[in-house]
Amino acid sequence: MKMINQLSSIKPGPRRGIFPALLASLILAASTAWVVADGTNAPVAQAGDAKPAKKPEKKKLTGAELYQINCNRCHAERYPTEFTPAQWKTIVTHMRVRANLPAAQAREILKYLQEDSGN
Amino acid sequence: MKIPSPIFGALAAACLLGAALPLPASAQVSADDFNALKKLVEQLGDKVQKLEQTHDQDQKAHEQDQQLIQQLQKQLGETSTAATNAQQTANEVAKVQSAYPVVSGSQGAMHNFTMVGDAEAQFGKTSGQHATFTQADFAPIFLFRASDDVLFEAGFDVTLGNNTDSTGANRASGSSTSVSMSFGQLDYLLNDHMTLVAGDMLLPLGTYTERGAGWLNKIPNDPLARDFLPGSGVGVQLRGAVPVGDSGGMVTYAVYGVNGPSSTNSIANAGALDLSGNVGDTPNWHANPSGGGRLAVFLPWKPHYDLELGLSGQTGAWSDSGNHQWSAGVVDAALHLGPNIEVKGEYIRTAYGSDDFGQIHPHGSWVQAGYKLAGLNLELPYVNNIELISRYDRENDGQGTKTDRYTAGCIYYFSNTLLFEGDYEWLHSTQNAPAPNAFVLQLSYGF
Repeated sequence: MKMINQLSSIKPGPRRGIFPALLASLILAASTAWVVADGTNAPVAQAGDAKPAKKPEKKKLTGAELYQINCNRCHAERYPTEFTPAQWKTIVTHMRVRANLPAAQAREILKYLQEDSGN
Repeated sequence: MKIPSPIFGALAAACLLGAALPLPASAQVSADDFNALKKLVEQLGDKVQKLEQTHDQDQKAHEQDQQLIQQLQKQLGETSTAATNAQQTANEVAKVQSAYPVVSGSQGAMHNFTMVGDAEAQFGKTSGQHATFTQADFAPIFLFRASDDVLFEAGFDVTLGNNTDSTGANRASGSSTSVSMSFGQLDYLLNDHMTLVAGDMLLPLGTYTERGAGWLNKIPNDPLARDFLPGSGVGVQLRGAVPVGDSGGMVTYAVYGVNGPSSTNSIANAGALDLSGNVGDTPNWHANPSGGGRLAVFLPWKPHYDLELGLSGQTGAWSDSGNHQWSAGVVDAALHLGPNIEVKGEYIRTAYGSDDFGQIHPHGSWVQAGYKLAGLNLELPYVNNIELISRYDRENDGQGTKTDRYTAGCIYYFSNTLLFEGDYEWLHSTQNAPAPNAFVLQLSYGF
C-alpha cells in the first residue's frame, strides 16, 4: 500500500526525455546484437532458420599476396631463395622504411620470404 | 648266509674277464667324425679368440670414453665457473649502466650486415657526337641491422664516366671516376606506425628519388624536372604508414627537417642557388633549416592492381641575403593495371626569390608508361621478356628556357634483376636549336 502511494505521488515529468532514451537503447541493443551476430562468437544458425546465410568473412591477405602488392610496384620480385632468413630480415627492415610499409604487412612479407629462403 | 666258494670264484672270474676284454665295436669313433669334431673345436677356438679381441677393443674404447667424460666434466666445471663469473660481471655492469635506456629487442637480436644495390654499364650516342661507352656505375647499399629496431644504411655511387666539356658534351678527352655517398641514414623503428630517420636522407619529394635508383629506373636518365629538386638532405625525419581496409591499402606520411638548399656564394642571385648545398649555419649563407613532408594514399584492389596518389613539399630559406625562400611542391601518381601495365608521373613546381630576377618559378612534369608484352599471351619466351616503355617529360626553368623530351624504348629482362634497356630520345628546347637527339643503351643489374 505504501509503495502504491509512492507511485501515485510521482508527478508526470517531461516526456520528451524518455523517447530519445528508449530510441537510443533500442539502437544500442540492435547494434550490439548486430556486432555480436557478425563476430566470431555468433551462435550457429539452426536448421530451418528463415534468415539468409551470413556473408563469408573477407580472407586476410597472405604474406605472398602482400609481397606482390607492395614490392612489384617498384621492381621485379626477388625470389625468396636469393637471400638467407637473416638477410631477408635486414632487407625487409630496409624496405619497410624506404617504401613506408605498415609494420604488420612487413612482418607478413618477412614471414613469407623466410619460409622459402635460401641457406 | 654263507656264499659257497665255487660261486664266488665264478663271479670273480667273470669280473676279471669283463675287465680284460676290449670295448664292443659300437662304441668306436670314425676318423671322419673325429676330424669334423676337431674342425668344430678349432672353429670354436677361433671364435673365442675373436671375441677376446673384440672384448679387448671394447675395453680400450671404454677406457677412452671414461677419459673423455672426465675431461668434459672438467671443462663443464670450468665453463660453469666462467658463466658464473660472467653473470657476476654482467650484473655489475648492468648496475653501472642501468641509467641508460636499452633499445628494444637488442638483447635477443642478431646483428646482420647485408649489401644490396645495383650496377650499370651505359653506351650512347648523341647527335653530333661519336657513339661511346659513356659510363660504368657501381652503386652498393650497405645495410647493417644493429637490432630488431635499428638499421643503418648507406648508399654509394662509384661512377666511371667520360669527361665532358663546359656544355656537357663528351668532347673532352679521358675519363674520371667519382665516388659519392647518395645517402647515409640511421633508422629507428619507434613503433608499428612511426620510424625516426636521421642522417643524409633521400628526400620524399615525390617518389622518384626513393624508388628510381639504377635498375628500378626503366629509362636510363632522370626526368628533366627532377633537376629542380634536391636529391637528399641532412636532417631528421619521422615517417610511417597506417593500414587502411582489408586489401592492403595504406596512408603513408613523412615529415622532415633538413638543412635545405643554400647559396654557392653569399650572393642571392638566381644562379647562386645550390640545391645540393644542404647545409645551414652562417658560413653557408642561411641560418634556418627547411621543413617538408609527404602525404600519400595507396589503394590496391588486388595484387598488381593499385593506385597511389601523393602530395609533398618543402620550404625554407636559401639565402639570408634578401631573406629569400626556396619552396617546392610535388604531386605524384602511379597506377598499375595488372602485372603488365604501369603508368606513373609527377608534377613538380618550385619557387625561389632572387636579387636579380625576383621570384622565379621553375616547374615541369613527367609521365611514363610501360607495357610488358607478356600480357599478349603469345607464348613466345623471348617476346614475353620484353617491356615497351615511353616517357614524356618537360621543364621550364622560369627564366625563359623550355625543354620537352620524348623517349621511346624497350627493356629486355634476362632475369628478374638483369635488364637491358634501349631508348631513343627526341629533345626540343628553346635554348638549343636544334636540340640533340640521343639513343642510350644500358645494362642494369640489381643485387
